[in-house]
Amino acid sequence: MTTNYAVQVPRSAVSLQAQQRRLHRALLSALRYAAIAIVLFIFLMPFLWMLLSSFKTQVDITNTRNIFNFTPTLENYQNVFQQYEFLRYLLNSFAVAALSTLFSLILGLPAAYAIARFRLQWLGMILLTARIVPGITFLIPWFIIFSRLGLIGTLVPLVLSHMLVGLPFIAWIMIAFYEELPIELEESAKIDGATPIGAFLRVALPLSMPGVITSAIVAFIFSWNNFMFSLVLADDKTRTLPIAIFNFLTYASVDWGGLMAAAVVITLPVLIITLFVQRYIVRGLTAGATKG
Amino acid sequence: MYNRPHLRLLSLALAVAFALTALWPAATLTAQDNPLTAGVSNKFAGTELRLIFANHPWNNTIQRLIPAFEQASGMSLRIESYFEDQLSQKLQVGLTSGTSTADAFMFRPLQEGRLFAKNGWLFDLKAFAEADKDWNWEDFQEAARGTVTFEGIVFGVPIVTERQVLYYRKDLFAAKGLSVPTTLEELEAAAKALNDPANGIAGIVMRGQRAAAVTQFSSFLYSFGADWTKEDGTSGLDTPEARAAYEFYGRLLREYGPQGTTNMSWPQAVAVLQQGKAAMWIDADSLFLNATDPTRSTVAKDIGFAPFPAGPAGARQYNITSWALGINELSENKEAAWEFVKWATSAPVVMELQKSGNPGPRISVWESPEGLSGFPTEYAEVAKLQSARGVGYDRPRVISVGRARDIVGAPIVVAIEGGNLEAALKEAHEQFNAFLKEDR
Repeated sequence: MTTNYAVQVPRSAVSLQAQQRRLHRALLSALRYAAIAIVLFIFLMPFLWMLLSSFKTQVDITNTRNIFNFTPTLENYQNVFQQYEFLRYLLNSFAVAALSTLFSLILGLPAAYAIARFRLQWLGMILLTARIVPGITFLIPWFIIFSRLGLIGTLVPLVLSHMLVGLPFIAWIMIAFYEELPIELEESAKIDGATPIGAFLRVALPLSMPGVITSAIVAFIFSWNNFMFSLVLADDKTRTLPIAIFNFLTYASVDWGGLMAAAVVITLPVLIITLFVQRYIVRGLTAGATKG
Repeated sequence: MYNRPHLRLLSLALAVAFALTALWPAATLTAQDNPLTAGVSNKFAGTELRLIFANHPWNNTIQRLIPAFEQASGMSLRIESYFEDQLSQKLQVGLTSGTSTADAFMFRPLQEGRLFAKNGWLFDLKAFAEADKDWNWEDFQEAARGTVTFEGIVFGVPIVTERQVLYYRKDLFAAKGLSVPTTLEELEAAAKALNDPANGIAGIVMRGQRAAAVTQFSSFLYSFGADWTKEDGTSGLDTPEARAAYEFYGRLLREYGPQGTTNMSWPQAVAVLQQGKAAMWIDADSLFLNATDPTRSTVAKDIGFAPFPAGPAGARQYNITSWALGINELSENKEAAWEFVKWATSAPVVMELQKSGNPGPRISVWESPEGLSGFPTEYAEVAKLQSARGVGYDRPRVISVGRARDIVGAPIVVAIEGGNLEAALKEAHEQFNAFLKEDR
């Protein structure tokens, strides 16, 4: 009995310890999930509110007593596309973002490659300066130049101005990429008869695709959300989404439902694109970041 | 007063108005002698005018009438619309760089007027305005004319006017057997009686955000006998009257207001009223649809209107020109632009605009029953009464209005929070004096 008992004590102590540890672990993971839930809630609440409000009438939106209980309406979305012609602004935004990103890539990628391979740091600095100087500094001169050229009211000034943001960004991300790329690969391409341009196009460019996609997506989003340049350089026909969303604010009334529906419409394309290419972004960001 | 038969009548009138507007283009095609475009000349036929407007109900209504003008004048109009802050930025970039292609535009005379006029961006309309006797400049309210006149030039033509009113909940007043306050003392008593935090109802709600509150505080300031500046052009914030006004405004919101008023501009404040959580709301009469439209307000049918209560210095609410039309100094089509401005501000057009719910600047329109037909009955009475009196500005009349509003708005926040108002006013007074010296 006693021996049994004596043996049992450490055994039960061990199992008690294991139990305690298990409990501890369960508690920790519960805490972890709780923390995740809280953080998610805080981050997602504005989105949830936006989504819910876009299906509400004005009276329901300001009602704080009952956030989830309301009769959904599609009227806001109808207004967005019919009354406020959001389709046109959506196309404008898309055209401007896509074109400015495309041209930024065409100019920025070779520039980044050249800067990395031929150590043209001064050129890199000049590019960076364009990014450091506050964008508003350029606005008035641009406006004068573009209006003298009669280009206000076309998409040209918008595409060019958005490249001011996109091009340096793409170039700077990609410089780090190309510096990291083993030069031996291009050297062997040259031995096999490739010109320097051929080596860039056939070897360096395909290898740097994750970086290209990451920087292109971020440049696209910059352009998609750009407000200041579009405000000054667009007229009512070339207006982009961030400007058009202000149509829901008038002097003596705010159409919250329409505003929220429009916000959903603006957020959705970017969200979808980002979800699709997310793995490139993660890879691209780390690849760019680890290289000092 | 404002009961169901009236509502029915109003909706009938609205239905008729809508039916008429639907027929509008067809009507103009046949009627050459349309009274709305009677005086319009076709001298400028073929000219394309570029106009920049604000997102504003006035804009929506005038766009409905414009086809008739285009037909009578032979001109074509190209209109861009922006939210007010964007409009201001857009105009300033175009006008500063001297490349703006707009011929005429809407602007806020009290907010940007002096800046625009000072920079010579607005064409002086004095000669035009005084030459045309049929159009009748004298028919515009004196305060409205004063607002668009600066150092002898007329820099715009008033199009929209507004006044401060008291919105109140008829049902809550009736339940307590209270009468509508006519003085500021009674206002405070009513706010105290109706304040019911246990049931989530505040006695009163008003703006409390630093710069946004300035305009709605102005009527309190005037009614206590103070003003932003003294006659010699220095700061008027050091007077006992100004202090009393700040103290009163702050006390109302601190003791009988909802939580968080210092974060409130009008959209936040009206949301409190819309959800039935405030017994009174004092703000511009131009916002009335936010309170009386059942799709926005849960208490739409219980809203009453009353004039701004009188203070120790009498009933001195603001009565301002919130929007005006100006002609770009750089425009090559100034005369054609004037033809449009003249038409858009002519008595028949202003009548039409006012009937669609846009309070205008013309005395003759306010005095005719037809001119009041577009408003709820009680609102019309209050607006008519207040359009004939009051102060023509609701913020300091300076060039850099934004900065001035920040300075004079700071003590409002301190007063609401119950801080050291004396010190805040002293500081604001000194800053405002320094500011006024620079602002020339």
